[in-house]
Amino acid sequence: MLEIDRLEFRYPEQTTPWHFHFQVEAGECLAIQGPSGSGKSTLLSLIAGFLQPEAGRVLWQGQPIHKTKPWQRPITSVFQEHNLFEHLDVLTNIGLGIHPGVKLAAADQQRIDSALAKAGLDGFGNRMPGELSGGQRQRVALLRAILRQQPILLLDEPMTGLDMDTRQVLYAMLNDEKARGATLLLVSHDEEDRRTLADRHWNL
Amino acid sequence: MTDSVANTPHRTPFSHSGWQIWPGLLLGLGLVVLVLMGIGSLLATAGNLDFEAVFSSKYLRRVIGFTVWQASLSVVLSLLIAIPVARAMARYQRFPGRRWLLRLMELSLVLPTIVAVSGLIGVYGRQGWFTALLNEGLPGHGWSLYGLNGILLAHVFFNGPLAARIMLQALEAIPAPRMRAASQLGLSGWWLWRAVQWPALKPVLPGLAALVFTLCFTSFAIIMTLGGGPSATTLEVAIYQALRFEFDFSQAALLAIIQLLICGGLWWLVFRQRINTSLMPNRQLGYQAPLFCQVWQPWLEGALLIGFALFLVVPLLAIALRGLPVLLPLSDTPSVYPQLLSATGRSLMIAIPAGVGSVVVALLSLASANRLRGHWQGVLPTLTGYLPLIVPPLVLGTGLFILLRPSLGNSAQGWMLVSLINGLMAVPFVIQVLQGPLSGMDANTLRQADQLGIFGWYRWRWLYWPQLRQPMALALAYGTALSLGDFGVIALFGSPGQPTLPVLLYQQLGSYRVAEAAGTGLWLLLLLITVFTSLSRVSRPAAVTAPASLSQLAPEAGHA
Amino acid sequence: MFSRVIPVALAAALPLFASANTLPELNVYTHPSFAAEWGPGPAVKEAFEAQCDCMVNYTVLDSGGDILQRLRLEGSSTPADVVLGLDTATMATARQTGLLAPHGKALEQLALPIEWTDSTFVPYDWGYFAFVYDTEQLPEPPRSLEALINAPDDLKIIIQDPRTSTPGLGLLLWMHSVFGDQAPEQWQKLSNKILATTQSWSDGYFSLFMNGEAPMILSYSTSPAYHMAIDKTDRYQAARFDEGHYLQVEVAAMVKTSDNQALASEFLDFMLTPAFQTHIPLKNVMYPAIDLGDELPNVFDRLIQPASTHYMAPEAVARERKQLVNEWLDALID
Repeated sequence: MLEIDRLEFRYPEQTTPWHFHFQVEAGECLAIQGPSGSGKSTLLSLIAGFLQPEAGRVLWQGQPIHKTKPWQRPITSVFQEHNLFEHLDVLTNIGLGIHPGVKLAAADQQRIDSALAKAGLDGFGNRMPGELSGGQRQRVALLRAILRQQPILLLDEPMTGLDMDTRQVLYAMLNDEKARGATLLLVSHDEEDRRTLADRHWNL
Repeated sequence: MTDSVANTPHRTPFSHSGWQIWPGLLLGLGLVVLVLMGIGSLLATAGNLDFEAVFSSKYLRRVIGFTVWQASLSVVLSLLIAIPVARAMARYQRFPGRRWLLRLMELSLVLPTIVAVSGLIGVYGRQGWFTALLNEGLPGHGWSLYGLNGILLAHVFFNGPLAARIMLQALEAIPAPRMRAASQLGLSGWWLWRAVQWPALKPVLPGLAALVFTLCFTSFAIIMTLGGGPSATTLEVAIYQALRFEFDFSQAALLAIIQLLICGGLWWLVFRQRINTSLMPNRQLGYQAPLFCQVWQPWLEGALLIGFALFLVVPLLAIALRGLPVLLPLSDTPSVYPQLLSATGRSLMIAIPAGVGSVVVALLSLASANRLRGHWQGVLPTLTGYLPLIVPPLVLGTGLFILLRPSLGNSAQGWMLVSLINGLMAVPFVIQVLQGPLSGMDANTLRQADQLGIFGWYRWRWLYWPQLRQPMALALAYGTALSLGDFGVIALFGSPGQPTLPVLLYQQLGSYRVAEAAGTGLWLLLLLITVFTSLSRVSRPAAVTAPASLSQLAPEAGHA
Repeated sequence: MFSRVIPVALAAALPLFASANTLPELNVYTHPSFAAEWGPGPAVKEAFEAQCDCMVNYTVLDSGGDILQRLRLEGSSTPADVVLGLDTATMATARQTGLLAPHGKALEQLALPIEWTDSTFVPYDWGYFAFVYDTEQLPEPPRSLEALINAPDDLKIIIQDPRTSTPGLGLLLWMHSVFGDQAPEQWQKLSNKILATTQSWSDGYFSLFMNGEAPMILSYSTSPAYHMAIDKTDRYQAARFDEGHYLQVEVAAMVKTSDNQALASEFLDFMLTPAFQTHIPLKNVMYPAIDLGDELPNVFDRLIQPASTHYMAPEAVARERKQLVNEWLDALID
């Protein structure tokens, strides 16, 4: 279970801090809702460890993780854009998710290949991100997130700007992860995204 | 962008596209004419051009060879030092003194050569502190400042911080999600470099290398003071020699053309690659994510930053120690302040208009270059950003003099002209600072502005100004400071009896007043620091005066 | 909008270019060490204005070379009436411009080490080039050029570049006068002792010599006078060389196209009176061009007296300079 325990944060120019407090079960997808500027993305950054809270805790399976570094947390984030390293091909981009020095075993290679095939990206391994469409790029980003096999996925507008067909592929990939027990936090302006993926809503 | 007049219901001041095109175009054209006149006047006086003579002269071939060699080495060294410094500074966003280190890095470029060289000699010279330490710890080390050592050291001192500053800016412009992905994946070392940092630095490196190369290529006083003799002669020295001592105008023009060809060719290569030459990319004001690091890394990088800060500060301390006794009214010698203060007043009267002028010229040139992108005329406003770097000041000065002479009542009163040229010489640096933010306005915003009919003055006021406030303050600091420390232009045009600060310094030097000169040097240094800190302070409170609607949008775009 | 701004800007700028004064003006082109606040310039201006009923305006250019350069660029439309600050190395080139007028004076009061017969240029001061040394670092300086050249290489000296500096050229001519065809060879022997060859005298004196980087610098035999009289220290002295020293004479001349010929001529006359010359010894730190008698400061009695004077005629300098510089370059470039 992921517990957000009375987390507080404010940007320097902000007078009253934001308060966050909720829980998400393993295998559950929680959609975070609220008007723009209400701190949705900030919340995801706090959970991922990109920002430091003023007070409160983040617990995973009962263990506090809010003092650890981003790379030590059981978390993978997918953003709306800029998820990929533009100067590295698709294989390397995904490989970096498995090992930060791209030291890949043969089994890892195989996993990447089959995952690419499953996502309809067969033979795209040596392409550069710049040669892919927006939907293909997001699929690669999501693949990397999934192959990283972390129990928590933070999704920050991952579908925005994509067409319906691409979305359907991504929905399927994410639902598979959920079925396997991953915990998802979703920030999306799109009602369709929320309806298809979220089990529960939490309003800011 | 479409022409606005037809479809805008309100008449907006300066909204006709001509306002964006013509001023910059004319400025560029004027500059090209000046350069041509400078070279042309030399040629006209000389009569003939004899390229053969230059290339058959062993001496001149050697001069060209040495100039290129020392400039190339300086580029490599400056960049090699700048990369780790920029990486460390990008990683540690909040260490004590970071802001001061940034100011120092900006300052080194504008230090008057003679002051900086005196500081460097105080540290690395035969009697310097560093050398004394070295003698203590490592007898028989064989270190000598004089020769190529000294040239490179001084060039790194001037250009390393500039390079690091620009690279830092590029690293800070990496999109936040990409940094966060790198953070989450735990990238470090080689892969962090390959995946994130190298792609961010690659676009600025060619322009940066060309800039440092050009600055070192045209370096003059440093090379002569520290270089140690005829074997260390640069093209600028040869031009000076031809123009001032031998009155060999033909040779001077030839050498100037060679210099233009080499440096101009380099810039042409940079442009031809269609590489983004903006040295100061639009900085994203996001919160950077922490990056994975080994246990030893903070120590190593901390030591690197401390070393770098010392490298910049210690020569300044040497200047301070040498000048302080004069500025502190301890001795019984007559006070230097009446002279200093009146010279400061005169200097500011030249430097502030020069700074403002350089910012205005840079903005006009950039606007024009942006509007004319893809047209052949676009070359002209672009040139304004580079010609002043590569044209020998003596040649430019001669051209200007011939062009403006009839309209000058009395040269002794032509300080406006000095101010103008100072401003022009600062334009390349100012353009580098402003180019990123001005050209980096995203297409979305521009499309919206087109649709809403926000043109001309209003577009500037509501779209560009809030984004450009900070870069403009830095640009103004560069323009003002470069003019404050300038000696060449004012000497070229002749000054009346009352000196500006650098002229006062040279007068003191020329009259054995060594101690006073050290005091003036320190005073000038303090003044430059004041300019930079006060302007960075003015610009810091982000968007406080900006209208509510825009200021609320800004943080959302940054980190939401 | 601009149409309204421009007249305002012009109106604001005009006073800078216009002069309200109706007195005749004497425009003098000169260099910084003469015009500086503590140089002879201000006192000279005041003294001359008191007698001429005119205004003296200085235009300060970087060096003698720049004065000449400016004059050439302006040609016959130059506003200059007098140029002051050329020297024996630039005289011939200046004469060739054809822009300078003969002075038509007898110049009987001159007190130079050489006979002065030039019909265009009037000397206003003179001095010898010499190596100045720091007595604390170097108690026993070499006694001759030859001794300097043959000294061990750990004796370091600072010189100036003959391509960019007047004393630098002076040393070149000095070596040439003493060693003739052997000069390049002697330069080679000297080269390991040269710590730095600076662009200008100021760079070397300020950045290097006064920082203690080398115990000897190429300067003037009169330099110690300043340190003794103003700094009140005997620490810096000039080394007297047995071969004799090279002479520099600083000169002024009238401009042919000047509208104020009479005034310019009056200024040249004034230049050789005590009212002008008393400011030379300590403010320009050179020997006065006339005999000042008791008014010569005492420290000048303590300066070295060269055994002989080396001097090449300006025309010869103009003719041979390029050749000599090239020989120097060849000798020093390995």
